[in-house]
Amino acid sequence: MDKRSFKSRYQLACNRKSFLGLTRESALKGLFGGNAFVSIVVLGLITLFLFKEGAGFFGQYRDSLLLYRQSGLEYVELMRGQQNALSALTRYLNSIRSRQVEKLAEEGYDFQESRAITEESEDFFYDFEDLAVPLREHVIEANEILSAARDSYQEMQNLSEHRKSLLESGRQDEADALEIREIDFALFFDIVKSRESEYIEINENLIRGIEEILPSVPYFGDAELQAKTERFKELAEMFIEEVSKFEENVLAWERARSVPISEAFTSFIFGKKWVTNSSIQDWYGLIPLMSGSFLVALVAMFFAVPLGIGAAIYVNQVARSLERDLIKPYIEFISAIPSVVIGFFGIAVFGTLIREVSGWESLAWIDFFPISERLNAFTAGGLLALMAIPTIFTLAEDALNNVPLSYKEASMAMGSTRLQTILRIIVPTALSGIISAVLLGFGRVIGETMVVLLCAGNRIEIPRFAEGIGVVFEPVHTMTGIIAQELGEVVHGSMHYRALFMVGLVLFLISLLINYFAQKIVMKFQISRG
Amino acid sequence: MSLVSLRLQKEIKMDTPAVDSQRVDRNRPLIRISDFDFSYGDKQALFDINMDIAEHKVTAFIGPSGCGKSTLLRCLNRMNDLIESARINRGKVEVNGVDIYDERVDATELRKRIGMVFQKSNPFPKSIYENVIYGLRIQGIKKKSQLDETVERCLKGAALWEEVKDRLDTSGLSLSGGQQQRLCIARAMAVGPEVLLMDEPCSALDPVATAKIEELIHELKNDYTIVIVTHNMQQAARVSDQTAFFYMGNLIEMNATDQIFMSPDKEQTEAYISGRFG
Ligand SMILES: Nc1ncnc2c1ncn2[C@@H]1O[C@H](COP(=O)(O)OP(=O)(O)OP(=O)(O)O)[C@@H](O)[C@H]1O
Ligand SMILES: [Mg+2]
Repeated sequence: MDKRSFKSRYQLACNRKSFLGLTRESALKGLFGGNAFVSIVVLGLITLFLFKEGAGFFGQYRDSLLLYRQSGLEYVELMRGQQNALSALTRYLNSIRSRQVEKLAEEGYDFQESRAITEESEDFFYDFEDLAVPLREHVIEANEILSAARDSYQEMQNLSEHRKSLLESGRQDEADALEIREIDFALFFDIVKSRESEYIEINENLIRGIEEILPSVPYFGDAELQAKTERFKELAEMFIEEVSKFEENVLAWERARSVPISEAFTSFIFGKKWVTNSSIQDWYGLIPLMSGSFLVALVAMFFAVPLGIGAAIYVNQVARSLERDLIKPYIEFISAIPSVVIGFFGIAVFGTLIREVSGWESLAWIDFFPISERLNAFTAGGLLALMAIPTIFTLAEDALNNVPLSYKEASMAMGSTRLQTILRIIVPTALSGIISAVLLGFGRVIGETMVVLLCAGNRIEIPRFAEGIGVVFEPVHTMTGIIAQELGEVVHGSMHYRALFMVGLVLFLISLLINYFAQKIVMKFQISRG
Repeated sequence: MSLVSLRLQKEIKMDTPAVDSQRVDRNRPLIRISDFDFSYGDKQALFDINMDIAEHKVTAFIGPSGCGKSTLLRCLNRMNDLIESARINRGKVEVNGVDIYDERVDATELRKRIGMVFQKSNPFPKSIYENVIYGLRIQGIKKKSQLDETVERCLKGAALWEEVKDRLDTSGLSLSGGQQQRLCIARAMAVGPEVLLMDEPCSALDPVATAKIEELIHELKNDYTIVIVTHNMQQAARVSDQTAFFYMGNLIEMNATDQIFMSPDKEQTEAYISGRFG
């Protein structure tokens, strides 16, 4: 090689176009590397932000629980529990009464006649209702005293905040003008506590009263109503037994007990109530939301897993290429439908349809039919299934596609049928891929917001799983739904605001776990194959 | 062999009076391909193939890449049914006088009679034991003693028994390439075929493993009719009784192996064997 050609080659290498001192290659590298870097940083920041906003929650929640205890409102709540049990009993009695009126109307009695008949049993109803009055009044009084104390405490709290800010801005005299009193909860609570003997007496009278009038439960002669009154008697007797338990708890309650931070934590994670803007006490318990989310997700998976995997197997193994070209884009297209449109469809069509179907005569043998709520976990779950199917389908189809063709050929060459090949070779080989497809589909469903917000019914209560399968037709609220619904209205930095962030954090952790396991499974799959 | 004809006849209830008289004739071909045209979609891959494959003989298919050897081999047990675009335009393939492409023939039944070993060893991701008995499992056979007996017999038949008898529970994928190929042969044998189709069974193996398989083919000849595709002239010469030479979808020449390698009739065959093209 002569000198000149060497030089020109050398120059060629140097003359590569450069911009700001970057060659094209390093610019490209920088561009893509930079993108990856930015997305990692953004993700990190989001996580950090979630933690930061959520972290303050437990401290605030503990303070709130502490105030609840120190002000004695917790004590009142215990008595209110008893009062609620009694009201439930009264409500049951009323339901008997209205059923009686209904029956009479069905039998063709006019208003006057049925009045005459119901009058006979009326006394009993009124007597029973009267029994509940003293307890109710006692609770109301106690509550009034203690809430007043709590409210003025909060007022003072606000005042001293105000004073602090005044002092900081140097307005000494204005600050001095503020009159800040110390609120001693003990004083107020002692008033309530001193009436404990009244409470005990009320209970004694209550029990005696119920026992006295119970034998005079009206006799209806009608089998259905009679069964109901029998049940009422049982419930009343159960209540009588419970009274002593309520009383015990009330008497044993101590105002001075402190609230450790762990209690704030457990009453968030395992809390059974989510109550906001309450005049008594706000509760931020995760269980109603979490159980709602999982119930909806389970319903969705119940439909999406068989359909998604079935479609994947069909398209990958059975369909002719023409069918494949038709089905695949079609299913994948579903995921392009905006979720708000699906939710809209759920409200307008699907929910109504379900309720109508549940009212069919021929389905009356199902004991939870007809359903009362149009929007419930089933409605939301059914629609979410629609959104999970493309995810499961696509990933499961990928997994099936990864099974070497040679396995299929070997199996077929030994005289197995297509079905045997699919069940014994293809699916087992792709199993881990399919499982991770299901997991990721689950993650998709748990994280979906719009559809559940619109279609799940948004009732914040733990679904009654004890009722069996019928539970899926109960309205529920979800973790994603509650964030979307409430975050817009809360005061920035308030306990409620932070509680919502904690819910978001829990969601985030769930998704993280799901993805982690999905990847774990796929990895194991690759190792065992490689 | 009688089993094929019996089974196929039972399937298609076709009375072929010729069978009885032909059964006496030891030289009657087991497989007869006549006037066979085959195409993938619009692309014709085989042109007017006429060929007889004799029982208990090893027949080798040779020819340059893409000439249709694998295609013809896969036509013999209807593996091409799996390919959507595959079409038979003309002619037929008869096994023991029965047209295997008759619509009344059950392809899965046919494939149990005509087994196949592939170019790239493809054991299932299951244990060695499960690999061998897969063919029995799909037939619903559960008797442990029968399964055990089959595993031992087939692994011995494939000259693999001594190497793996202590680790039948390990994955078939943990074996070496040559062992995997012998496992595939054992697996094909377990179904009890009469014909074994082998598509370049040694192309991924080293000389030692290749020698083992060739030796095995020699022994299998007693029980099976073997058709083998190979790119290795020496191998064809060593193991086969008859050799067929293909070129661009046509069967150029078929004859006894000695004849083909010593004094081929056709110019093209001569050229290919001596390495002048291909
Ligand atoms: N599945 C298929 N679809 C379409 N065309 C195919 C298919 N399989 C094979 N062919 C075509 O058919 C022709 C014959 O292929 P075949 O595999 O039979 O060749 P071969 O002789 O086995 O070659 P090699 O020695 O390389 O294995 C080739 O032109 C090939 O492109
Ligand atoms: Mg080939």
